[in-house]
Amino acid sequence: MKISTPEKLAEIRSSAREELLNGKPRVLVGMATCGLATGAQNVFDALLKEVKKRKTDIKVIGTGCIGACFMEPLVDVVMPGQSRITYSKVRPDDVSALMDAIVNGNVYEDRAVGRIDAEPFLLDDTSKNYGNGPLSPQIKKIPLYSDIPFFSKQMHIAMRNCGYIDPLSMNEYIAKGGYSAAAKALKEMSPEQIIEEIKLSGLRGRGGGGFPTGRKWETCRKTHGESKYVICNADEGDPGAYMDRSIIEGDPHSVIEGMLIGSFAIGANEGYIYIREEYPLAVKRFREALKQAEECGFLGTDIFGSGHSLKIKINRGAGAFVCGESTALMASIEGRVGEPRAKYIHTVESGLWGRPTCLNNVETWNNVPVIIARGSKWFSGIGTEGSKGTKVFSVVGKINRVGLVEIPMGITLRNIIYDIGGGIPENADFKAVQTGGPSGGCIPAQCLDSPVDFESLTALGSMMGSGGMIVMDEKTCMVDVAKYFLSFLREESCGKCVPCREGIAQMLSILTAICEGRGAQSDLALLKELAQLMKDTSLCALGSTAANPVLSTMKYFLDEYKAHIDDKHCPARVCRALIRYSILADKCTGCTACATACPSKAVTGKKKTPHEIDQSKCIKCGICLDACKFDAIEFK
Amino acid sequence: MTQKTETFSFTIDGKQVYAEPGETVMKIAGKNGINIPGLCHHESVSPYGACRLCIVEVFWGKKSKLVASCIYFPSPNDIVETNNKRVRSRRRMIIELLLTRCPDVEIIQKLAREYDVEKTRFAETSGLKNEQRCILCGLCVRTCDEIIGRHAISYANRGTDRMVTTPFDDQSDECIGCGACVFVCPTKALHYEDIDGKRFFEELHTQVPLVKCRLCGNAFASQKQIDVMMERLEISREMAETCPRCRSSSFGETMAQVLGKYKAGEAVIGSDKFS
Repeated sequence: MKISTPEKLAEIRSSAREELLNGKPRVLVGMATCGLATGAQNVFDALLKEVKKRKTDIKVIGTGCIGACFMEPLVDVVMPGQSRITYSKVRPDDVSALMDAIVNGNVYEDRAVGRIDAEPFLLDDTSKNYGNGPLSPQIKKIPLYSDIPFFSKQMHIAMRNCGYIDPLSMNEYIAKGGYSAAAKALKEMSPEQIIEEIKLSGLRGRGGGGFPTGRKWETCRKTHGESKYVICNADEGDPGAYMDRSIIEGDPHSVIEGMLIGSFAIGANEGYIYIREEYPLAVKRFREALKQAEECGFLGTDIFGSGHSLKIKINRGAGAFVCGESTALMASIEGRVGEPRAKYIHTVESGLWGRPTCLNNVETWNNVPVIIARGSKWFSGIGTEGSKGTKVFSVVGKINRVGLVEIPMGITLRNIIYDIGGGIPENADFKAVQTGGPSGGCIPAQCLDSPVDFESLTALGSMMGSGGMIVMDEKTCMVDVAKYFLSFLREESCGKCVPCREGIAQMLSILTAICEGRGAQSDLALLKELAQLMKDTSLCALGSTAANPVLSTMKYFLDEYKAHIDDKHCPARVCRALIRYSILADKCTGCTACATACPSKAVTGKKKTPHEIDQSKCIKCGICLDACKFDAIEFK
Repeated sequence: MTQKTETFSFTIDGKQVYAEPGETVMKIAGKNGINIPGLCHHESVSPYGACRLCIVEVFWGKKSKLVASCIYFPSPNDIVETNNKRVRSRRRMIIELLLTRCPDVEIIQKLAREYDVEKTRFAETSGLKNEQRCILCGLCVRTCDEIIGRHAISYANRGTDRMVTTPFDDQSDECIGCGACVFVCPTKALHYEDIDGKRFFEELHTQVPLVKCRLCGNAFASQKQIDVMMERLEISREMAETCPRCRSSSFGETMAQVLGKYKAGEAVIGSDKFS
């Protein structure tokens, strides 16, 4: 059905919103990739079966990820007239009892973890209660989201619809205010006004570089070109990062709407989204969303009767990290080898097929409709002086609450890791947090009170990057971490320019030697010299930032490097070549438990006499340590 | 930075120089007698910016940046230094890295002497100790694509595993056996041999049958190559089927020169001599 005027859109929004708030009871299952990995599909199927069996009119909906991946599978129940109740770690076995509770208007207390009393409508700056009556004592007992530490310090702008709507329901997207910003932009604003609004908002690119979005659009608009392009970069490749995947899986229309507004502002009629093939669900949902947007007339010709037209195509990436670099990405779309070119002439002037091209990241596009709807003043009121708005981080690694966290810029790393993330498991000590992916760096405990914004993270020797945040505890060896990132980059360097190709390989070879006890005093200076070369002379940002993991760990954890080189000792006891298992003769009872367990027959000794470990046979697996009941195995 | 449309001046090594639109710093420096080293640059093919040896330092007020001069278009008032301490020190390390990769390549050894790189502090990483000659400058790939128009070779793999090869490391159907790739290679990483009426490209997994010269009877070029020459250069069959020795100049050189000039829109010498 074509929605060709803002009036028609408003009409549909009003009825869709009514349906959302007062229609049939809705059961939402978190079905992004993270949810599916924990078994959400089985829960979803069991719910559907149960609904069919009971012949009720409950709607079972697959939704996106609300961010609390550590609680998945998540099921949210919205009963008209009541609250929205979140159930965590739901198993198919729970479904029958859960359905009993829903049908009887009760709460399934075993799994209930939180509630929301009013559905938020961010774009209209309102929220609407699910009911007017008093809440039952049973519901009141469940904590509100605003009282749950994981959610209370967060602010969901980019993730506004994730976990709330069916990502493939145009009606639900419209109900939340979807495409109203596009209607406003195309019908009430001039391209210049839109660009001015984005500039005033202070929005900066969320893909890593942090370039001011409005300025990028302005240059692209002003550059003369027969045709122009908009591109959405969804080639998210940083280890541990999955913000963009979740946004596409949970709210694909928000990206399309952002691109629509951007294309109108710069004067582009063609767009591409470059999604990595490793994200099959994101590709599938985006494809479906594109089809819906075309059917509704939000893509195609004369959108909202404005005369503007836009067509968006999906281009799937074949798994090269470097294709997240804008010029390599464009080469890949053109069907050429995905390798970067120098950007002395910017892509906004000469990009895809030599035409002016505006490339932004998923989260950047996704923020645009909110800025248009709520105004730049509101948006720039959030965050810090130089970094406005919010940023989504995927907080992973040694942290209690793994998940996606969207915070206003400027809160501290400590807020994210301890208040929101719940600290380090097993009461271990925090050691470092890695931000910015392979181009970023490791930030130590003494910097935990630094604010999270573009400038502060760069000043610490790391960077904002696309939003990966890997938390590491005391059992992590920082030299090993640097080695890990360099080995990732060695695989992913395209190999075009010498400093990146040869420099990364040499850095990795030096780090490997250090971890294997072959490090020399001169290695540290050589690493620094290589880092300077790569930073100064690499062709693209992959090479020029590749040394950051090494430089930042050398800056904050130099004593660990020195221990590896001078003492041939790995303080975190990670580097195999430098660790040693031995038996304390005074504690060993000769029980033979370790000798029996040892897979390489390295333990010898007679029964009831102290045993010994033959270091030449020991493979350092640590099985003897687990097998010994007398604390007789020493591990250094 | 936007491409300029009018002539303007800027400074290279303290000398005021003039730039025509579309000229790179390397080209302008060359016109002014300032030589900048480079391994991946050739004026007959498009610039690539991969070897980074041609880096120069550009100053704008207090700021400066190292740029690859083979792809950098200057702006008015740029102050460029092509051989200062910072530039030389970075070049020295690039040469050290290349020397580690290709210790036996003469052109790298020569550069190492020029830049006082006595030995490398690095370990061999390509896994082809002393046998690796390819520095991945890509001149062969660009020549085959842009000048010969065949695109028979390209890159496979990434990082230090990257290599120039034919699709699937197999006999190429696109290769016409012209040998322009061998001619343009600065490190002699590619070579061919003519044996028993066939031209063998060992590194490129390809062999091409040869036809005989109409004058001396020696097998010298493939039928595909002759067809391409006739079509592209609009020369007579007589010329195309005459071997380079009979045309008294080395064949690959002629091919590259002639075709290079043809591409640049210049008159092709001798095209009427044989018609």
